[in-house]
Amino acid sequence: MIGRRSLLATAAAVAAMPGPLAAQTRTRDVRVGFSQDALTLDPANHRNRETQTIIRNIHDGLLTRDPAMRVVPEIAEAWRAVDAKTYEFRIRSGIRFHSGDPLTAEDIAFTFNRLVKDNAMGGQTSPRKSLLGPLRDTVVVDERTVRMILGEPWPILGAMLPFQEVVNRRQVERVGQEGMQTRPDGCGPFKLAEWRRGEAVIMERFDGYYGGSPAIPPVGPAQVDRVIFRVIPENSARIAALLAGEVDIINELPPSAMRQVEASPNADVAKVNGTRTFFVALNNAKAPFTDVRVRRALNHALDKNAIISRILNNTATPLRGVMSPDAFGFNAELPEYRHDLARARALLAEAGVAEGTELVIDCVAAFKEVAEAIAALLSRTGLRVRAQVWEGAVLGPMWQNPERRRERDMYLTSWGNGALDPSDIMVPTLRTGGRGNSAGFSNAEVDRLLDAAETEADQGKRAAMYQRAQAIVTDQAPWIFLWLPQDLYGVSRRIAGWKPQADSRINLHRVRIA
Amino acid sequence: MTATRLAERLAQLLPVLFGVSLIVFLMITLTPGDPVEIMLADQRATDEQAAALRRDLGLDRPLVERFLVFLGNAVRGDFGISFFHRRPVWDVIAERLPATIELTLVALIVAILVAIPLGVMAAVKRDSWIDRALSAASLFGVSLPGFWFGILLILLFAVEFRLLPVGGRIGFAYEVPRVTGFLLIDTLLAGDLSAFGNTVAHLTLPAITLGLPTAALLARVVRSAMAEVLASDYVLFAEAKGLTRRRVLLRHALKNALIPAVTVTAIETGSLLGGNMIVETVFGWPGLGRLVVESIFARNYPLVQAAVLLYAVTYVLLNFIADLLYTALNPKVRL
Repeated sequence: MIGRRSLLATAAAVAAMPGPLAAQTRTRDVRVGFSQDALTLDPANHRNRETQTIIRNIHDGLLTRDPAMRVVPEIAEAWRAVDAKTYEFRIRSGIRFHSGDPLTAEDIAFTFNRLVKDNAMGGQTSPRKSLLGPLRDTVVVDERTVRMILGEPWPILGAMLPFQEVVNRRQVERVGQEGMQTRPDGCGPFKLAEWRRGEAVIMERFDGYYGGSPAIPPVGPAQVDRVIFRVIPENSARIAALLAGEVDIINELPPSAMRQVEASPNADVAKVNGTRTFFVALNNAKAPFTDVRVRRALNHALDKNAIISRILNNTATPLRGVMSPDAFGFNAELPEYRHDLARARALLAEAGVAEGTELVIDCVAAFKEVAEAIAALLSRTGLRVRAQVWEGAVLGPMWQNPERRRERDMYLTSWGNGALDPSDIMVPTLRTGGRGNSAGFSNAEVDRLLDAAETEADQGKRAAMYQRAQAIVTDQAPWIFLWLPQDLYGVSRRIAGWKPQADSRINLHRVRIA
Repeated sequence: MTATRLAERLAQLLPVLFGVSLIVFLMITLTPGDPVEIMLADQRATDEQAAALRRDLGLDRPLVERFLVFLGNAVRGDFGISFFHRRPVWDVIAERLPATIELTLVALIVAILVAIPLGVMAAVKRDSWIDRALSAASLFGVSLPGFWFGILLILLFAVEFRLLPVGGRIGFAYEVPRVTGFLLIDTLLAGDLSAFGNTVAHLTLPAITLGLPTAALLARVVRSAMAEVLASDYVLFAEAKGLTRRRVLLRHALKNALIPAVTVTAIETGSLLGGNMIVETVFGWPGLGRLVVESIFARNYPLVQAAVLLYAVTYVLLNFIADLLYTALNPKVRL
């Protein structure tokens, strides 16, 4: 019987293994259970946050962010604005790429020109071009100095530069555009050992590392031999891998699984404020939302703390306006729409909204539970609110188009602000006609302030303009202001020296085995 | 079978492929959702930048033109560039395919090894407790949600007993040179038995999760076919001739009872290949199914089109192979 024989053979092979888990890793490996594989290892050829998180361990940037999210020099030693449209960067000396090539000003200029010039990537234009706004040209001044030339003043250049990594010009010439997808030659703390597509990215310590930003101690080479980003897309499986000791860090831990991880003897939950602002966009062009009293009433009506504590397991920070408290130009003086049902009912009556008026909150499946809770809480005013679930690829474009959203009421959505700068979130979501202005909000004074701040080089004045704009937005209430969710990670007690960051990077340069 | 007959069968593939291409193209492009918007997501971008990206991806051209370009390129084996990977679609698919085929074949072997003996046993001992237990178990197996079952196995064997790994294809301590892409073969070619064992350990849970529902279905088919054959005259005759029970069952009855099982197996192989995305997601298996699902959500048109075309070809070929097997099992069947 072939069947019996091969069954036995399989069983024997399994039994003969020297313990599958023991063979799984070496002792000085740090393993990350990650929700997604990298799309490419070419820093210039993607628009994907997870891809960048992986790449950032292989490549360094001109600037980076410290754990408090301050922008600090990394490959750059110092930088200054020559004038409103010219910035100069001095490069640290003695940096080498993994291949041994020295990093020079030529590489910096090449990297940024490859990002912003049309067709600069073998006939293609980098999908990251728009992240660099009006940057036109990067020129070499001397061996250790480059200048960036902007088409118009753009004060958030510094906040946007941590999103880009420096590549080796000679490597691009050696391997070509295609080769760059899989054969990175960075100057970061780890070099690529093997990319098992869809399964894992394996990296080894780069012993010739210059040490990283002096603003983020300890400076020096990485403290572990290898780091492995292992792709585990399914939440439960990712948690299981952490609990089984197969990985040391997992991202995107769902709030509902916090207790399970906390109860485990070998892992902890780590949280950090994220950078994504959640809100319910109210269709400002449609009655009854055309009346500011209705919009304010809905803000008073929603007890968001109830949702944060009961559904989100206290893993979100309530917001009074659009900006994260960690961001540049945050207005800490904004008044609060206190939870006050009587006031909400009075405002609705004043605006002539009849009891029993039916309203719909659109959302994607992932936020169904939250949307239903919001609907139920808003219904306490006498309105009849319900949630409707859509597919994300359909819902987003529908709400972006003023014609197609004309008959819609409310939209539970969010906008990421990785740059932690108002320009990156207020301009798209609140300026008239902005790409993410799903509420259709339009306020001449806000537009004027946002436009002026875009070109204001004095950071103090810029902050003041944004604070004023935030005050108007909160007063006009185009949205129901919600919260800033925390990013949750599961972290094994086997490792130390790693804390989650607001920008959702998982930089493993300073992690060590505990 | 003659060469002409073979050529005819292969020629029948062409209209099928054309039809599938057209339907898939229309379905995915007419589904609401815009790959450019998905790529840009929350990032600041002007309308010009969005339009430039759309032009780069070839999405600014009319639907008919896009379909004809796709068809013309596909004939030459060029399926375009994956929007998100920015590499040729076929390269992206080819590096994921061996993982999916390996898992499918092992799952199929698990299914056959479980189903045939159980199905035969149930047919021989009809209406006994074995038969009833099998029918209950197979109902359970057929209706088992793979997602739930997979997680259950992980929690039990990986987290609780720590016997088997949670997911992936092979441990990170192993480096196996890629020859065929099939790790069971590559590890043996490298002469690394420990890596082979590790690969088997990684395959065990996903193969069981994927294979059991098929086993349940197959066992029911084998049981009913076998029961029918056992009631036929020639079996009675064979027994009357004084042949041993074993010889009657294995030589005379099983061969004929396997014919429906072959059809079911061929169709199921197709479904396993195309329908294992859930198992691949649960076990972090770097296969094609997961890639296709991700691509559908991201509206990665070129990849979805190429993958569905591949599934269609596989289906047609598997049915063809099933036809060939009929003739081997029963010479009376002619193609």
